[in-house]
Amino acid sequence: MSKDINTKVLKKNAFRYSKVRGETASRIRIPGGVINAQSMAKIAEVAEKFGDGTIFLTNRQGVEIPGIAMEDIPEVNKAIQSIIDDSGVNQAERDKGYPAAGTRNVVACPGKRLCPFGCFDTTDFARKMDKMVFPNNLHVKIAFTGCSNDCAKVRMDDFGIIGMTEPQYDPSRCVSCEQCIKYCRIRSVGALSLVNGKVVRDTNLCIGCGVCVAYCPTRAWTRSKEHYFRLVLLGRTGKKNPRLAEDFIKWADEQSILDIVKNAYAYVEEYIDPNALEGKEHIGYIVDRTGFDEFLKWIMRDVKLNEKAEVASRVYWSGKHYDRSNELK
Amino acid sequence: MIENKNESMNENIYVPFPSVLKEIIPHTQKEWTFRMSYRDAKNVKPGQFFEVSVPKYGEAPISVSGIGDDFIDLTIRRVGRVTDEVFKFKAGDSVLLRGPYGNGFDTGLYENGEVIVVAGGTGVSPVRGVIEALSKTADAKDKHVIVGFRSPDDMLFREDLKSWAEKLDLILTVDGIPEGSDYKGNIGLVTKYIPDVPIRDLAAAQAVVVGPPAMMKFSVMGLLQKGFKEENIWVSQERKMCCGLGKCGHCRIGSTYVCLDGPVFNYVDSKEMID
Amino acid sequence: MGYVLSKEAFDEVLGKLSEDFLLYSPVRKIGEGCYTDVDVVRYDFVKSLDEIELEAKSNYAFKELLTPLSQTLFFFTENETKEADSDTRDVIIFLRSCDMHAVKRLDAIYLENKFADPFYERVRKRVKFALIGCGHSFENCFCVSMKSNVTTDGYLFSLDFDRDAGQVSCDVKDEDIAKLFEEAGASAADVVPSSVTENDTKVTVPDVVPNAVYKDKLWDEYTARCIKCGRCNFVCPTCTCYTMQDIFYTDNGRVGERRRVGSSCMVDGYTNVAGGGEYRRTNGERMRFKTLHKIYDFSKRFGYDMCVGCGRCDDVCPEYISFANIINKVNAAAKAAAAGEGGAQHD
Repeated sequence: MSKDINTKVLKKNAFRYSKVRGETASRIRIPGGVINAQSMAKIAEVAEKFGDGTIFLTNRQGVEIPGIAMEDIPEVNKAIQSIIDDSGVNQAERDKGYPAAGTRNVVACPGKRLCPFGCFDTTDFARKMDKMVFPNNLHVKIAFTGCSNDCAKVRMDDFGIIGMTEPQYDPSRCVSCEQCIKYCRIRSVGALSLVNGKVVRDTNLCIGCGVCVAYCPTRAWTRSKEHYFRLVLLGRTGKKNPRLAEDFIKWADEQSILDIVKNAYAYVEEYIDPNALEGKEHIGYIVDRTGFDEFLKWIMRDVKLNEKAEVASRVYWSGKHYDRSNELK
Repeated sequence: MIENKNESMNENIYVPFPSVLKEIIPHTQKEWTFRMSYRDAKNVKPGQFFEVSVPKYGEAPISVSGIGDDFIDLTIRRVGRVTDEVFKFKAGDSVLLRGPYGNGFDTGLYENGEVIVVAGGTGVSPVRGVIEALSKTADAKDKHVIVGFRSPDDMLFREDLKSWAEKLDLILTVDGIPEGSDYKGNIGLVTKYIPDVPIRDLAAAQAVVVGPPAMMKFSVMGLLQKGFKEENIWVSQERKMCCGLGKCGHCRIGSTYVCLDGPVFNYVDSKEMID
Repeated sequence: MGYVLSKEAFDEVLGKLSEDFLLYSPVRKIGEGCYTDVDVVRYDFVKSLDEIELEAKSNYAFKELLTPLSQTLFFFTENETKEADSDTRDVIIFLRSCDMHAVKRLDAIYLENKFADPFYERVRKRVKFALIGCGHSFENCFCVSMKSNVTTDGYLFSLDFDRDAGQVSCDVKDEDIAKLFEEAGASAADVVPSSVTENDTKVTVPDVVPNAVYKDKLWDEYTARCIKCGRCNFVCPTCTCYTMQDIFYTDNGRVGERRRVGSSCMVDGYTNVAGGGEYRRTNGERMRFKTLHKIYDFSKRFGYDMCVGCGRCDDVCPEYISFANIINKVNAAAKAAAAGEGGAQHD
């Protein structure tokens, strides 16, 4: 029997189109980058049973199980059900695998669960985001990182969410040891200075990374009760114009972030090039076409920004335009 | 803020008292002696120190470099925030002081018999009173004083040096001279002159050593090699002192508080003190 | 006089006490630790039992009331020096046995040691104590080795709370306060404050530390490991050092203040003298200086060890340096030196 495979359906079901004819790879979605050890064992089991015995760790914290015969797809979908249950990914029908693959796995650094500098639970927020956006066929990349260090490289994504804390200072607990000043200078932006034996924070310069809090030996510096976020927009890799995401809002709250991303999906639905190849078009190119103001109008619709949030009035992106010139200067 | 002046103020040991600056005697650009009125001067010992207190700028421990009938001398080196301010004072101004603190030298110990004083740089200040007392003793020719400065320009107490040279055995030396200097005196570290000081009774001779840490270390070594007894050697230690009251902790070395138990120590004790 | 009473009745006693005293106890500060959503337990004023953190060891000690981290001593106006105002209310500090022993160490420095510190003396006179019973040893505690695990007097009343039974047991030493317990309906009982009898961590403090130990190579490890942050000092119930600090207000150069702020012998600048001299540069030297003060030098001056074995320094050290282990290393080095074995030495 010759194979008769609808590759569109295959890809949408989170199986890779492989250069090895007749083979595919199962793409396991792990929003927030955390699954339990049993799921990991299950992945290993599927790789042994259906794949070639290897496991590929993807750039976006997913897992691919290569070397699967296309005819085993239904069996594999049944086998990975427990992993989907564990990772909490939305599903259309049980035992049928993933219902979409367009919106990529939502990435998160270890965040506050492990990292001393993590400003929030990145995995938790990533899962919440995934619950909201998935399944969806639009090619959207979202990533979370615990602090301004951006270990998760969220500036390469359409939506990068960077954790922030607003340092709280109690001068009565400060002994002028100046360690916050020293470490802010070395590890961060140098936003602190000593005035009259007490520390002054340049609120304009401060990026809310929390380094001062981590190094304060007396708890003069503590974290704000609220977790804040910096939202950076429309970074991307790609052949035409790779670029880093640019700052859009700082000191935003969680709900505003969720609302903005949700609105952005509606905007893309509205304006995506109907003839886009495989229905994929980076949002940035759509914004280039509609103009930033239209994009802004759509994404801020009904968003009730928290009082502290500061929004950029205009956002400019840079990056190399290979479609204009490939010269090395 | 606080409106009523607390009545217990004057009993508060942290509250400085005002003292009239009688006279300023400059030595070098950076080292001046401030002659401060002090009624109880006769109860002050050389080697003790005062905290000079400049509100809004801070306090600095300064050793007593001279003692008069109704004044004390504080020779101050201009090295920071507080001393910068002190150098702005003029004769007649009121300056705030706390003290005297510390034990000071027991000049009675050095009155009779042979004595050698080795002092370097600003270390001359705390022993100036000792040398002064030695110069007035009957057997002043048995009192040997080696004073060293970095260069001729760094010399302190020039007038005193002249008068001491007449009364006791003074060896004045400098570490080196700048090019083109017309200085004709001794050149070399104080330690160079220790071996040749004529001491008849090494078992009884007393020694006082004050100066920078390295200078003190090698001077004491020189004295021990010469045959001085450890228990006859006295040193004065400089450490960070915020309070002078045994509270702030900065000057502590082992179980010793330099501000309370010193700054003058017998070498037998000081050799056991490890910072 | 021993009493057993319900939680509600005990709160009634606290309410009555609050009329005359401020109550100062360990309090869990949600999310105020070093890291995100990590709590810190430190001292603050309370009114009821629920506010008192009894489950965890406090990360910071009670001493912040007696020796504040930052304390204004004087205000300066153009021509005058005025002493800073101080609270005049009496305070009951809730603390565990190790910390009760620490009070004696603070007193030694601030009330004895030739001069009595007037600022400390003033607040010290207002302070009374309530002993928190210690049913079990916490991680890193070595109070038994330091003989600070039992306190039999010096407190107004003790406090042991059986959460499951909702019952508070108190050993009341003060007659006036005993009346409050009786008014609240407490029933008399034999009460002995609970105390720790054994710790996992044990140390042996050397009787004599020969000078050779000062130059032992054991300190080098800490030059490499320690980051001289001083947390060990700031959490220590017996560390007392401070630095004087004068300031003038930038908006009006004519007025200012003199204050003292907590100081750490591990942190840069501690030994710096005007003109640039520094007496202990390496972190290893600083560790040696701190360690020997806690277990040797203080004792030479006052007759008992400074360290009370609360283990807060080990709890807080971001580099996982164990002070208890250092004590044992010093003990071994001291023994070796006394036996003439020398050990690894610096020149």
